[in-house]
Amino acid sequence: MQNTRVIARLDIKGPNLIKGIHLEGLRVLGDPHDFAKKYYIEGIDELVYIDIVASLYGRSKLTEIVKNAAKDVFVPMTVGGGIRSVEDVRDLLRAGADKVAISTAAVENPDLIRDVSRFFGSQCMVLSLEAKKQPDSMWEVYTNSGRERTNLNAIDWAKQAEELGAGEILLTSIDAEGTRKGFDLDLIKAITDAVTIPVIASGGMGKAQDLIDAVTIGGVKAVAMADILHYGRDSILDIKNTMHENNIPVRLSHE
Amino acid sequence: MSNLVTVLDYGVGNILSVARGFEAVGASVNVTTTVEGIENAQRLILPGVGAFAAGMTELKKNHLDSAIIKLAHSGVPLLGICLGMQFLMDSSEEFGETAGLGLIPGKVLPIPPNSHDGDSLIVPHIGWSGLELSGDKKNWDNSILVNTPVHSDVYFVHSFFSQPNNQDHQLAHCVYGGNSLSAVICKENVMGCQFHPEKSGLIGLNILRTFLSI
Amino acid sequence: MTKAFFGLPEQVVFCKRCVISNQRPNSTVEFKNIKDEKKATINFDENEVCDACHYQDTKATNIDWKKREDALNRLFDLHRSDNGDYDIVVPGSGGKDSAFASHVLKYKYGMNPLTVTWAPHKYTEIGWKNFENWIHEGGLDNMLFTPNGKLHQYLTKEAFTNLLHPFQPFIVGQRIIGPMMAAKFNIKLVMYGENQAEYGNNSDENYIPTMDRKFFSVDDPMDIMLGGKSIRDIISETDFKLNDFKPYIPPTADYLESKGVEVHYLGYYLPWDPQECYYYATEHTGFQSNSERTEGTYSKYSSIDDKIDMFHYLTTLVKFGIGRATYDAAQEIRNNKITREEGIQLVRKFDEEFPKKYFKDFLKYISVTESEFYSILDEFRSPHLWEKRDGEWVLKHAVWHNQERLK
Repeated sequence: MQNTRVIARLDIKGPNLIKGIHLEGLRVLGDPHDFAKKYYIEGIDELVYIDIVASLYGRSKLTEIVKNAAKDVFVPMTVGGGIRSVEDVRDLLRAGADKVAISTAAVENPDLIRDVSRFFGSQCMVLSLEAKKQPDSMWEVYTNSGRERTNLNAIDWAKQAEELGAGEILLTSIDAEGTRKGFDLDLIKAITDAVTIPVIASGGMGKAQDLIDAVTIGGVKAVAMADILHYGRDSILDIKNTMHENNIPVRLSHE
Repeated sequence: MSNLVTVLDYGVGNILSVARGFEAVGASVNVTTTVEGIENAQRLILPGVGAFAAGMTELKKNHLDSAIIKLAHSGVPLLGICLGMQFLMDSSEEFGETAGLGLIPGKVLPIPPNSHDGDSLIVPHIGWSGLELSGDKKNWDNSILVNTPVHSDVYFVHSFFSQPNNQDHQLAHCVYGGNSLSAVICKENVMGCQFHPEKSGLIGLNILRTFLSI
Repeated sequence: MTKAFFGLPEQVVFCKRCVISNQRPNSTVEFKNIKDEKKATINFDENEVCDACHYQDTKATNIDWKKREDALNRLFDLHRSDNGDYDIVVPGSGGKDSAFASHVLKYKYGMNPLTVTWAPHKYTEIGWKNFENWIHEGGLDNMLFTPNGKLHQYLTKEAFTNLLHPFQPFIVGQRIIGPMMAAKFNIKLVMYGENQAEYGNNSDENYIPTMDRKFFSVDDPMDIMLGGKSIRDIISETDFKLNDFKPYIPPTADYLESKGVEVHYLGYYLPWDPQECYYYATEHTGFQSNSERTEGTYSKYSSIDDKIDMFHYLTTLVKFGIGRATYDAAQEIRNNKITREEGIQLVRKFDEEFPKKYFKDFLKYISVTESEFYSILDEFRSPHLWEKRDGEWVLKHAVWHNQERLK
């Protein structure tokens, strides 16, 4: 079985790392670079940076952050937030990003997924999908950092994105995120069953066992976490050791 | 041994990370877009992310491809990374058949859609996989992997892989769904890493450092 | 020179630090609120910085919070019951602010609160859910008071028509219910969350922990103004009797004093941060932010329990030129959650958004047709704030005017 990837998610606003609950009530936590460096040294497998006000300004401010990170961080970085065009992608890749995560712009113009994967390769094109459970038990896709409804069914959208060339899906449960009560396993399973591309589970991790459930029950190959790391509730080493003890292959660095 | 490394920027790929990776291990990095830059290189890095055909088109545009071939034939150490490694081959089957640089005999093939157990395999191959000794190799002495412990995890992200015709040209592979995918290839002074050493933490940086001593 | 309605400042100025304008009205004594009343507005200094921003500076540097908390503890020690009786009334609806206040009073400070709710006009689903969670997950006792809908709707309609202030009757009742119940239950303390002075009311009010008597004194109940009319006039024009108005007649200040009732603000004793209230409420009382953005603003967790709520903010926009996004953004800028630049973009994007979702509900509630609605709105558009361009009403001044046009 392949190594499961442990990914740190950094939500960025301007120059700050922030964190919310249900993507609301955004607390400023500090300089993202400090956190990123720390996680790299502690053995994180990947970093995801999401600029959550980019849609508001109509542009992404992440190039500076990524350029700086590239000096000290030598694991893959995915960057998202307000990416609207192939040019935006090119700028971010040249600044040091390895993959781009697109959410709102892809919903508004699905061809963007096709264009980005054509130009830069599928592996670089991550669909960022934020979903909320509806009363009828289906999940609806939201955009603009969980603020706007789309009436799109999350499962259908995930499938469509794969067909258009997305290489990965960063799947965030709006219901679970920030709550530390565990992932939305039903949502995860529904999406991993529907697509053949890798799915990264995001939103809700409270303890290492949640990650194990996401992998064994949800079927994901990668898990993104924020709250648990940013607030120092658990360490990357402890999380990875717990995975190892539970027979989940994971990269253990000897650094 | 010179610490000067030239990184070719042909408009495709994450140049900055490669440059930073080499800087982190003590190299002086010169990024070039021209034939002159290639001709003057003491060590050349050919990075790349994305589609084979599009990438080769860019290389052909300003005759960068012939400059690279000429440099390789002159014995200067050349390292292709990811798509850069795929270019070293004769051709690729991505989006129809496209010719590569032909520096190491072989083809670029798609990662099989099924594992050896018959289950469908998730493609692209994204993640950390271990480097294994290929063929009948007992070790990686005298190669770019001399300082790398066997089974070390490095970061892959690709949908295609290079298959050298000559088994001896493959130093290391990773195992994905039971399939062996080449990870490091080498023919004399021409080398390739399918994974991203600049994204593989300290293990990766050590490989870059070793390249500086070849 | 255009004549500004309500005696508002002729010149429109926006605070240099947050996004509020000098048109923002301070809290009025609602039961004296009449149509042509001159509104007191938020004060700006000579550098065009508003009082609320100044107060935040004071909060950060000039207040000895340890001393304030000591005062809170002394107050509680004096009133904490030792026989199981309720010892403090916390008015609220289960929103993040009252959830925080009530829960922390009970579980940290060891008081025995009775929460008291003046019902929203029309509960939203999320509002009702949060209300129940507040009580059942938060572990609090609650009394929900729902005023006679017939009168409440009538008053709301009159308030809308005569004052373009549909929330006026609600505010009157909501302010009364806490102290009134405290007096009836022989509970001496009433504790609200933050003082409105945090938002720029007379800054002197920030240094007094208790609510001003002026909100309670009344001589003859018949003179009380509701919806722009006196109770006396309403009774003579309709079938309503004095009996119907019980919830809107404040207890007199003397009566409250005789019962020993004191009204306090937790925001005086503890540094108030609405976002931290959100975090606390999510963790302790099962509070959930809304799944979608509230129309007219960017936030999902402020004031989400009443379908009529948006129309309070819409009418504020019409009368004063600033909407809900302005209020939310101003607060978050002052609390260092967002930058002014971001606040300006948010105001540009959301402030004038029309609240479509519950529009039909609102019209039905106040028995007004759509065209009547729009003509009433227009009567209150002061020419110093609004002008018509190509048949559309356009704000003459907005905080995002002259800002760099972003793609």
